[in-house]
Amino acid sequence: MQIDIDALETYNTLARDGARSAADSLSQLTGIDAHVEVTNVSLMALSDLEYEYVGGEFCGVRIELGGALTGETMVTFDAEARRVIADTLAPGGGDGMRRSSVEEVGNIMTSGFIDGWAEHLEAIIDISPPAFFEGSGTDVLTAAAEETDEQVFIFRSRVESAAESIEFHILFVPERNGLIEALGPADEGSVSLEKLEVFNEMTEEGARRAAENITTMTGLGAELEVNRMNFVPIDEVPATVGDKRYIGTVMQYTGEPSGYLVILFDQPSAEAIVEALVPMETDGEWSEMEQSAIEELGNIMTSGFIDGWANVLESSIDHTPPTFVSDMGSSIMSPIVGRMARTQEHAFLLDSMIHTDGEGAFRCEMFALPDEAELREVLGNLLVERADRTRVEPDEVF
Amino acid sequence: MDVLIADDSEFMRSLLREILEGEYAIVGEAENGVEAIELYDDHDPDLVMMDIVMPIRDGIEATDEITDTDPGAKVIMCTSVGQEQKMKNAIQAGAEGYITKPFQKPSVLDEIENVVAG
Repeated sequence: MQIDIDALETYNTLARDGARSAADSLSQLTGIDAHVEVTNVSLMALSDLEYEYVGGEFCGVRIELGGALTGETMVTFDAEARRVIADTLAPGGGDGMRRSSVEEVGNIMTSGFIDGWAEHLEAIIDISPPAFFEGSGTDVLTAAAEETDEQVFIFRSRVESAAESIEFHILFVPERNGLIEALGPADEGSVSLEKLEVFNEMTEEGARRAAENITTMTGLGAELEVNRMNFVPIDEVPATVGDKRYIGTVMQYTGEPSGYLVILFDQPSAEAIVEALVPMETDGEWSEMEQSAIEELGNIMTSGFIDGWANVLESSIDHTPPTFVSDMGSSIMSPIVGRMARTQEHAFLLDSMIHTDGEGAFRCEMFALPDEAELREVLGNLLVERADRTRVEPDEVF
Repeated sequence: MDVLIADDSEFMRSLLREILEGEYAIVGEAENGVEAIELYDDHDPDLVMMDIVMPIRDGIEATDEITDTDPGAKVIMCTSVGQEQKMKNAIQAGAEGYITKPFQKPSVLDEIENVVAG
């Protein structure tokens, strides 16, 4: 089964326009000035969606789609967004009225999100009556999300209002074959969906190996939490990473494909890592030895991550020595995006999250940005039957 | 036995030094491939622990030059890179051993023993 990457760009744009329409609806209804922060389409296991909802209280509206496009769309509000909407639309109202106001906002927003898709397809998308839901963490996801590891395309938009400090998400999970049919016939720019999935699995294996390397180096039990391949407008990459402050490393790799790999730890995680690597008195600044330890960890994680690509593709991928970075995530990504944006409008952003539990708990995010055209070529040359050759031991060669 | 360490990471050099000190004499530490070649010429060590990814000149180029001028040189690549093609390149350059990071002390000492024993 082939998938047309150019059409995927179009559909990502449709999702973004749909999210804008939903944000506009919210603004009109409530006066809250909301804007779309980021929209992307991810190839990921449905079960990995759980990560987005861990530890919060959410409510929202879910609708089922049929006709020209089958699947599910949902809008979720966090507790603060729910409070602000209800306070604005139903001030002084009882619980029932407050809930109804949020439900109606969700209903109007989901409809606004879908309308553009129907127009683009010049067809009718049937919409089920909206179902309100509320709950803690992953309770808000459908049972299907917990059960399946099948990779699906998920369109996700994050909408924010700076003035009100609220945030909500729009998710669109189309039925896989239905989406590909809707994307239209494959042309020269198309890639095999099977190869796209295999490459994503290779990346997952690389991220898992990077996690193992952390464990070996630090003694902290690290595990891969989430792995996904995002397709995102290049200028939205910094917003995707966000404004949180990070410590980490940046590396450029050259070969097939070329690109960048950014490894980021939040401040407490970086401190936990350094404490495990170079236990010594520290004055809160990053000493040369501490920076070197972070860089070396980044170096080893990078190899764990990209060696699998090189081994499966029977090629060689070089990478530069790591550069230590300490800044906001978006600021770290901006210069990289600036260079890549000269030749591409969209990017495949491979996003993996590694975490540990217990003492010295930390969270690490790895972002790989391969050159889009080169990745397409790599996917074309990828031999699926070699996909399990990600690891090669020196003893096999020496 | 005299050992030269070549690695651009201060942290990794200190880790290797910790593993090797007491067992071997560390005669020099290089931060890049050019320094590795210069220090090899200066000290004529029995063994080089050579990283691959280094600035200025990488470890495979440095190994190639060292073994060109001294065909008896013993070099162990000590690197995070686990790519089959790079391992083949290292063999072509004259490396006799290969250790992938992250490593534990026993695996480093075992590999040194193997290479020294020929």
